[in-house]
Amino acid sequence: MAKEKTLIEMIDISKSYDGEVVLDEFNLNIKENEFITLLGPSGCGKTTTLRILGGFTKPDTGKVLFQGEDITDMPANKRPLNTVFQKYALFPHMNIADNIAFGLKISGKSQEYINDKIKYALKLVNLSGYEKRSVTSLSGGQQQRIAIARAIVNEPRVLLLDEPLGALDLKLRQEMQYELRRLKNELGITFLYVTHDQEEALTMSDKVVVMNQGYIQQMGTPEQIYNEPENAFVADFIGDSNIVDGTMVEDYVVKINGYKFPCIDSGFGKNKPVDVVIRPEDIEIGKPGQGIIDGVVTSNVFIGVHYEMCIEAGGIEWLAQNTRSFAVGQQVSIGVAPENIQIMNKPQSEDEEAISLEDVLGDESEGTPEEL
Amino acid sequence: MKTNSSGLNKLIKVLYLALIVFFLYLPIGTLMVLSFNSSKSMGSWQGFSLRWYKEMFSNAELMEALGNTLTIALWASIIATVIGVMACIAMNAMTDRKRSFFMGVNNIPLLNADIVTGISIMMSFLLFGISLNYGTVLFAHITFCIPYVILSVMPKFRQLENHTYEAALDLGASPLYAFFKVVLPDIMPGIVSGFLLSFTMSVDDFVITHFTRGAGINTLSTLIYSQLKIGVRPTMFALSTVIFVVVLLILVISNFVRGDEEEEAKKAAASGKEYVYKGGMSTKRTLAIILCVVVAMAVAVRFTPSTPGEVGDKGVVYVYNFGDYIDPELVDAFQEETGYTVVCDYFDTNEEMYPVIKNNTADYDVICASDYMIDKLIKEDLLMELEFGQIPNIQYLSQNIRDFMEEFDPGMYYSAPHTWGTYGIIYNSALVDEEDFGDEVSWGILWDEKYAGKIIMPNSIREGDMVAAKLLGYSMNTTDEGEMREITDKLIEQKPLVYSYANDNARDLMIGENAYMAVITSGDVLYAQEDNEDLAYVVPVEGTEVWTDCWAVPKSCRNYDGAMAWINFMYSYDAAVANFEYLTYAIPNTQLDDYVYEDYIEGEMELQDIGIVNPPEEILARCETLKNLGPEGDDMYSKYWKEFKSK
Ligand SMILES: Nc1ncnc2c1ncn2[C@@H]1O[C@H](COP(=O)(O)OP(=O)(O)OP(=O)(O)O)[C@@H](O)[C@H]1O
Ligand SMILES: [Mg+2]
Repeated sequence: MAKEKTLIEMIDISKSYDGEVVLDEFNLNIKENEFITLLGPSGCGKTTTLRILGGFTKPDTGKVLFQGEDITDMPANKRPLNTVFQKYALFPHMNIADNIAFGLKISGKSQEYINDKIKYALKLVNLSGYEKRSVTSLSGGQQQRIAIARAIVNEPRVLLLDEPLGALDLKLRQEMQYELRRLKNELGITFLYVTHDQEEALTMSDKVVVMNQGYIQQMGTPEQIYNEPENAFVADFIGDSNIVDGTMVEDYVVKINGYKFPCIDSGFGKNKPVDVVIRPEDIEIGKPGQGIIDGVVTSNVFIGVHYEMCIEAGGIEWLAQNTRSFAVGQQVSIGVAPENIQIMNKPQSEDEEAISLEDVLGDESEGTPEEL
Repeated sequence: MKTNSSGLNKLIKVLYLALIVFFLYLPIGTLMVLSFNSSKSMGSWQGFSLRWYKEMFSNAELMEALGNTLTIALWASIIATVIGVMACIAMNAMTDRKRSFFMGVNNIPLLNADIVTGISIMMSFLLFGISLNYGTVLFAHITFCIPYVILSVMPKFRQLENHTYEAALDLGASPLYAFFKVVLPDIMPGIVSGFLLSFTMSVDDFVITHFTRGAGINTLSTLIYSQLKIGVRPTMFALSTVIFVVVLLILVISNFVRGDEEEEAKKAAASGKEYVYKGGMSTKRTLAIILCVVVAMAVAVRFTPSTPGEVGDKGVVYVYNFGDYIDPELVDAFQEETGYTVVCDYFDTNEEMYPVIKNNTADYDVICASDYMIDKLIKEDLLMELEFGQIPNIQYLSQNIRDFMEEFDPGMYYSAPHTWGTYGIIYNSALVDEEDFGDEVSWGILWDEKYAGKIIMPNSIREGDMVAAKLLGYSMNTTDEGEMREITDKLIEQKPLVYSYANDNARDLMIGENAYMAVITSGDVLYAQEDNEDLAYVVPVEGTEVWTDCWAVPKSCRNYDGAMAWINFMYSYDAAVANFEYLTYAIPNTQLDDYVYEDYIEGEMELQDIGIVNPPEEILARCETLKNLGPEGDDMYSKYWKEFKSK
């Protein structure tokens, strides 16, 4: 990240299908050698963004600049970027070697060069010796890796990856994540990476762009996104959270269902309704009377490193994570350190309304009638 | 218990399968066997022979029709495939709604009746002043093949491995390169099946070809159909056998090739070696093989010597005739003698020929038509007068025929008879009682209970009614409702005695001795006697129908002199003999009177003494010709015929 030169600019891009807006005045800058991740729920327009960059979809309005040059109308085959498609898009009638060599042959590379590259790429994706295999004889994960290999061998300036690790198991995924990072550093390729896996986004990226319904909700480093979500959508999307209604009684004090919690936020005014976000791992569980609210454990599941529990307290069901287990039915108290309470304004404008939690839920289960 | 029932189950399954295969292949099997029969008849096996195969390959007309069929099918399916695939590319790029609209548009012609398609294409050609020829048939075939291609290619486009085309572009391929390298191999199976479907549709087609072909252009289907008047000759069995075997070969070869590849793959897998994918190749290879065979056949056919090769300097004479209704060698002889070039074209029935002449869809110089049709054509002013000065041989026309002509061409201005004959009873002299077939036989013998289940009656309105009318002493052209009632009742009364109502195959049923007697035209008798010597013919005393098929010149004629020369030639001694020998129909030519027919079953005899082709005067005096009755008469006849048929 020595040079902070802007490589790609998307300016005021809008796109709608059959009157349904998929991208609305979308703006994004991608810097040279940056690893940028688009993160968002299914159908939020991630693939559409990539397709506009790749040249497969024309935006209704707006421009795409590459190093300051307008490439909005440049055909896909002329653009200096390569795509790893969400559905792999391997050529089924060619063997693996031919698939990988496809781009190299077109650019007129020598046979030796091509052979070397194929070997190198297959090794990179852990599939050495697969040259002669047919596409259909590979598993989904293997196909995905071939798709990555096929794009990488062309050494594009920018690599667009649409959920390239979606079909891999956890271990392989972590390996590939590591390999991709290494590639980026070695080859100096700029990555635009699409995922809906927030953990993947946070571990790999220099910059995360959280999207919903065609809007950018928040853009920032993984730490910023995780620790300081700007709204309830981001908070909810980045990991499990307790998001509850509260009132800012005065600076540094927020009231939740009648219980006062000390916090570190100020400047909201008096008796202002707000959203309060508390991460499950930040809920401290103690003996009754020790914390701020008393309650009872209603469920307890072991999820690996720690236990995930639901605690009924003060009329709210809290999600809490702790390395200590509290049995179901046990009387406990909960408390939160002031710095772990995140206060956010309630959505007010129409734009913000669109990203409210109900909408997100409604989006996932489309067609269910709205509850009163 | 258990094994028992499963064994039974299996047996039933096998039986069921065997039964299906049996019924599917029985007809073609029969046909293949018959193609090796030295006899002309389907009814009896008279030894193995390759005679029909020889005849088939030396029949220039048949070979040319085969050539036309294959070249038209080949070109039509190639062009339709290219156009169809391009249409699919365009449709694939459309929005869903537009695409489904166009798919709907595409499907309508598929559901449309062939006859509607055929007529509408023909009308469009005529409307734009395009005369019908080889090109119009090809065009029509391309038209009806395109929807089939689209139908089989479009789904392949929809199933295309997601975004492979875009992936190719992304990797720097130009749209064209991406299409040929990535899209085409994927949709290849669809293209192959679209091509094969088009090819078979084109080979199969009769109706559309029939309406769009020009003079002298025949495909197998139209040629075979036009020959039905004389009955299907066994050369057709030979041809069908050859076609069937070729198709079978293609299938076996293509399966063989594919099987080979699968074997290879399996072997490779078994031996632990890497499996080498070749899926895309097999269809390509199959296609290549099929193409090779077809091209080879088409080329072979094209280079077989065919008659209308040498063009005479006096122009072309277009002859429109019943199929197989002259000795085919006469065409060559005529060309040599006169210097005209002849293009022959065929139809099966008068009713089929009529609209062609009426609408002028193809320009013929000389046609052949039956008496009642000549009458109709004259009344509708569709014929030109004949200039008998150019037909000196007309002097040989038999006198008795001239008399009958008064009934449909008074004064003989428009037509010159080609063949003629009577209707009568053909019977098997070895099976019937001798005294029943003495000197005088009545139509009433067909109502004799003694012969119940052994009688064959005509399956056409006018001939069926004629038999009953004559028996009752009425005219066969009666329009009296009361007489019609009686005629119908008479036919109904006879129904339980009748073995079959048959037209074309009456002859074969008699040869095969399926019945004792049948109503038949005299022309078929000599032919039948060749295969069954017990057959004899009699014209009943009450009289019968006499028919005449005549040459005539339609108004569309463009080579009048050629037409006259053709008719004159047909009255020459050599031509008359050739036609008689070929058709064994009566030829109204006095030069034949003392011609000695060597093959006659009762020994050598002069034609004038053979009653079958030359009925005595007193019988002819009681004969009538078929008359046009006008729409009202036709309606009445069909009304009563329906009643009779439904009883
Ligand atoms: N070609 C198209 N025609 C119509 N609608 C489309 C088309 N492509 C995308 N859409 C719509 O645009 C919206 C965004 O789609 P997009 O593919 O960009 O989502 P995504 O963020 O990539 O989702 P996922 O995570 O499921 O891949 C969706 O509602 C989708 O239905
Ligand atoms: Mg997507």
